[in-house]
Amino acid sequence: MTNGMKLVLFGAEVLTVLCALIATFHPNVLYGAIALLITFLGVAVMYVFAGADFLAGAQVIVYVGGVTILILFAIMLTQWLYQMKLRDVGTKLLAPILIGAGLFYVLAKALLDINPKFLSDNAEPAQKFLMTPKTALLGEALLGSYLLPFEAITILLLGALVGAVWIARPR
Amino acid sequence: MNQSAAFAHTLQSWTSQLPILSAFPLWAWAAISALGVIFLLALPFGGLATYVERKIAADIQDRIGPNRVGPIGIFQFAADAVKMLAKEDFVPPGGDRFLFNLAPLFVVVGALAAFAALPLGKHLVGADLNIGIFYIISVTTLIAPGLLLGSWGSQNKWSLLGGLRAAAQIVSYEIPVALAILPVILISGTLQVGSIVEQQGWGVGDYHFWNIIHNPFTIISFFLLFIGGLAETNRIPFDLPEAESELVSGFNTEFSGMRFGLYALGEFVDVFVMSAVLTTVYLGGWQLPFFNIDQWVIPLPTGIVALVHFTVFMTKTLLLVFVVMWLRWTLPRLRVDQLMGLCWKGMVPLALINVTGTALWMWIFKGQSLMQLLAKAFGG
Repeated sequence: MTNGMKLVLFGAEVLTVLCALIATFHPNVLYGAIALLITFLGVAVMYVFAGADFLAGAQVIVYVGGVTILILFAIMLTQWLYQMKLRDVGTKLLAPILIGAGLFYVLAKALLDINPKFLSDNAEPAQKFLMTPKTALLGEALLGSYLLPFEAITILLLGALVGAVWIARPR
Repeated sequence: MNQSAAFAHTLQSWTSQLPILSAFPLWAWAAISALGVIFLLALPFGGLATYVERKIAADIQDRIGPNRVGPIGIFQFAADAVKMLAKEDFVPPGGDRFLFNLAPLFVVVGALAAFAALPLGKHLVGADLNIGIFYIISVTTLIAPGLLLGSWGSQNKWSLLGGLRAAAQIVSYEIPVALAILPVILISGTLQVGSIVEQQGWGVGDYHFWNIIHNPFTIISFFLLFIGGLAETNRIPFDLPEAESELVSGFNTEFSGMRFGLYALGEFVDVFVMSAVLTTVYLGGWQLPFFNIDQWVIPLPTGIVALVHFTVFMTKTLLLVFVVMWLRWTLPRLRVDQLMGLCWKGMVPLALINVTGTALWMWIFKGQSLMQLLAKAFGG
């Protein structure tokens, strides 16, 4: 990576973390949702730098164009939004710490398991891997070696869709 | 891998012999080409489109239309721009100033960002990304949060209703739009826009022709994509977010001056992007029918080929833009329930049938187009 690219990546990382913090701690839930939107965009930039081109596009279209809009929709149907201060006053500590630590362990383990060949910036296999288009590989993997989990997920999603229509049907 | 060279590379190779310009690094050319596309193509298009739209409206309604500023009123858009810049930038007192100011930027950024991957010619692609067409449809979704946040920041019930309608409409119609592009991706096996255009061919020799007549399903998909694009860009008959007769002016009711100008510009640029996507995936992009300028009897210099490509691409795109404007003065507006019914009960099932049908066609006829089959049947 050139220094300019490193600078862009660093900027995206800082923006992502900052907006994630705002999304977590801002008392106004609407601003939290907008910060979340920018976090999603920042994550998409990181996917680009990780060589996951298709995933970056999917991140934008699904999370920015879909999920954030639904969150904003739900928020805008809330009354007295600006007077409302959202603060978690309960002393729920154990469960969040356990879940957070577990998630951290999984992510750290996944990161440490990466082939060391890919870790240095200018290593040739890493560069080559970054520049390969991933869409075709992803498609072959999903409809080849991972066909069963893929089909299981589609059935789950179809079930969720049918269930949503059933709940929302006119009575 | 790349058949079509990116803009910046083209500029760099053209200027490699010149004294000062050859010292410019690639990123400088990339920045120059980005600014060039925005200021020489997108923004003038947005300005001229407002004038052309009014002239077309006038012609259809048997009026004269703008005719005072310059010959046949051609400088009307410049006068409008000056008026908008000079107007007070008003924020409604009860509104949310931050969101109100932020929202138009989302719309403009979403529409302009798509230009990075639009193939204006073989040597005129900002960045021929591996996921080109997917990038275009995903980056234009930034428009939806822009409309929603601006309407919320206005603190006005008409604005909010318009914004909610816009968001619901754009999110819903994203699905038929994506499904209507999918048959082309099945045919060409790539998301790269340059490659999609090149594979459509000239119609001579091997009878590769535009995707619109590749098979019966792609003809339907073309119209689905056009209708879905109309809905995504909030154009009549799908202009419910603005709906003058019910919502004053919808999501942009409270906007004035250049912020309103940015919304209007974003809308027109988005119409251009949608027409350009249709041209790219279904109408052969920069290619002339039955005439291959790249392999002419005399090899032409790259500059002339690029100019011809650009002209062909713009002609096809602007014809589609004209149809969009024509429709505006022809069709009445839909109701909300009709809009959602059309999307979920009409277009989505039809688009799914098209995707399946194209996949079956590719499997049965080994990827040959209708024209190739006919040519084979009649011994062509």
